[in-house]
Amino acid sequence: MKRALILALNEVRLYLRDKGDLAFTLLLPIVTFALMYGAFGGASRFNATAYVVDEDGGMYARSLVEGLGRVEGVKVSMLSTEKALARLQDADLNFVLFIPAGFSERLASEGRAELVFRQRGNGGQTGQVLGSIIRGIARDMERDIGIYQKVRSNLAGTGIAVETIDVVVTRLLEEERGNPSVRVKEELTGGTGELVNQYVPSILTMYVLFALMVGARAIVEERRKGTLERLLTTRLSVGELFFGKYIAGIGRGFVQTFILLALSYAVFRMFTPASFLQSLCFVFVYIAAVSALSLVLASVSRTEDAANWIGIVFTMATVILGGTFFEVSEGSLLHTLGRFSINTYANEALKKIIAEGASLGDVVPSLLIFVGVAVVGLILSRLIFRAVSGAR
Amino acid sequence: MADDFVIVRDLHRSFNGFKAVDGVSFTIARGEIFGLLGPNGAGKTTTIRILATVLRPDSGEVIIGGHSATKDPQAVRRIIGVCPQELALYEDLSALENLVFFGRMVGLSGGEAKEQAMANLRLMGLEERAKGKVAKFSGGMKRRINFAIALMGHPELLFLDEPTVGIDPQSRNHIYENIVALKEKGMTVLYTTHYMEEADRLCRRVAVMDGGRIIAMDTPYGLKSRIGDPAKVTLEDVFLHLTGRSLRD
Repeated sequence: MKRALILALNEVRLYLRDKGDLAFTLLLPIVTFALMYGAFGGASRFNATAYVVDEDGGMYARSLVEGLGRVEGVKVSMLSTEKALARLQDADLNFVLFIPAGFSERLASEGRAELVFRQRGNGGQTGQVLGSIIRGIARDMERDIGIYQKVRSNLAGTGIAVETIDVVVTRLLEEERGNPSVRVKEELTGGTGELVNQYVPSILTMYVLFALMVGARAIVEERRKGTLERLLTTRLSVGELFFGKYIAGIGRGFVQTFILLALSYAVFRMFTPASFLQSLCFVFVYIAAVSALSLVLASVSRTEDAANWIGIVFTMATVILGGTFFEVSEGSLLHTLGRFSINTYANEALKKIIAEGASLGDVVPSLLIFVGVAVVGLILSRLIFRAVSGAR
Repeated sequence: MADDFVIVRDLHRSFNGFKAVDGVSFTIARGEIFGLLGPNGAGKTTTIRILATVLRPDSGEVIIGGHSATKDPQAVRRIIGVCPQELALYEDLSALENLVFFGRMVGLSGGEAKEQAMANLRLMGLEERAKGKVAKFSGGMKRRINFAIALMGHPELLFLDEPTVGIDPQSRNHIYENIVALKEKGMTVLYTTHYMEEADRLCRRVAVMDGGRIIAMDTPYGLKSRIGDPAKVTLEDVFLHLTGRSLRD
């Protein structure tokens, strides 16, 4: 047992020293996470830049732009007329808001004015969403201006200064915005509101599976190089060697997962301390199952190339069926096949823990499946494992 | 013989119908350096692998230090050290880490393993490179590390499977001198090599294998006497005389 642990520690040390292995198992997932972070802005549902041409420059135009900038997920970028038209022409932009000259003046005097959406085609999905947001802000402005005008006219002749009236109305309107009469409450009936919470668990389980399956190649390589054979001439028994390799797989996977989960915690802030610890525990059991499968692969592969290819094909099939890249609709053939993929259970359960605050008790069925896979994988691989071809 | 440390009786081992070892028998006395010579594919390495408890024989008996290699392999592993033909090293570890790791595997404590590792590295002239990564070592240095690992745990019987193959003359000479020193200390060694002059100078007796069988076994002098004047005939002449001049794979 002690020798098996020394062997496992040696394996983890080798893993941490192999730059190629580290790049594959840590750098690649980190790059994927970074791309996701870039894509989702690390946060919620809608992120876009609103391109605005302000030909007016008046008070209401400024107010409109400020209102747009206050919308969550919307960044405002001001353009000149020429630049905006050129970029629209070059198909560099799909949607630009033009605030025409005289906008503020007409709004103040006539109570109505016009905004222009210049867009390519329908403006794209982002353009359509921005258009709706701008219409909403414009309606709010229209309502606010109406309120100001009505209050001023009602208080006309009372001797109260217009400035005082405006200050009070502005304060009341702000209070109303902070405590609206009609609130919207979001309730999840499935899935998660945060895209990042949906994808991080899937990507994490995919890379752990990938690394461990492809890591089986290392055992095949050791068999070819003769280090396994040499170990068998020491006091290490085949059982200890086998167990040491199994523990080593778990160790490697756990180091990899710990770093990735900790990074997700720090960057995406997607955990509470409790959900972080529960995720680690859950992933530990998942790794134990995958490590057993990795030993099966190492046992059946004759060459390093064979181990690589079987590992890659198995991983890709498993993650696709596990719904890593796209949602598998219920009742479909893929959904049925997905029940045979270990990643289906890993992804579903990890999402529950991270996004829905589920506890380990809520994902017991998945944990039992992993324990089953680990036990069957270990028995199977122990039966067919050979440290040296033709040997004990 | 009562002093026989290794007894091999009628050893057989086949791979998919191919007889790699076909009725091999010999003994090695305690403190003897015994040479096992033969062309490629003669069955030398398979014999060593059976003696080192890595492979089980189809039939036959191997007794090492009074322990059966098939019935009590763990007892045999406690007293053997193996220097395989391949460079069975962890290239991403340092020389010291390799030796300490294998030292732990033969049952040494952390402190003992480190102490022996440093002593063996000194013996191999690699003390100053102890912390160097093996991947950056020359072929000769790797061979010396390969040899040094086999000495961890002070084995009573050493299997040296072509320990000097493919290296520079300096490293070869260094390993050779170490084997001489081990001989003087009374270590029992089973030695295979393609360098006949090494076998001639080192081994008390040699066995020549071909086709999985031992076709001759005697002292180098005795073997040379069989084909001519031992003062003029070399062991290589004997080898070619016994195994023929046709090329082997």
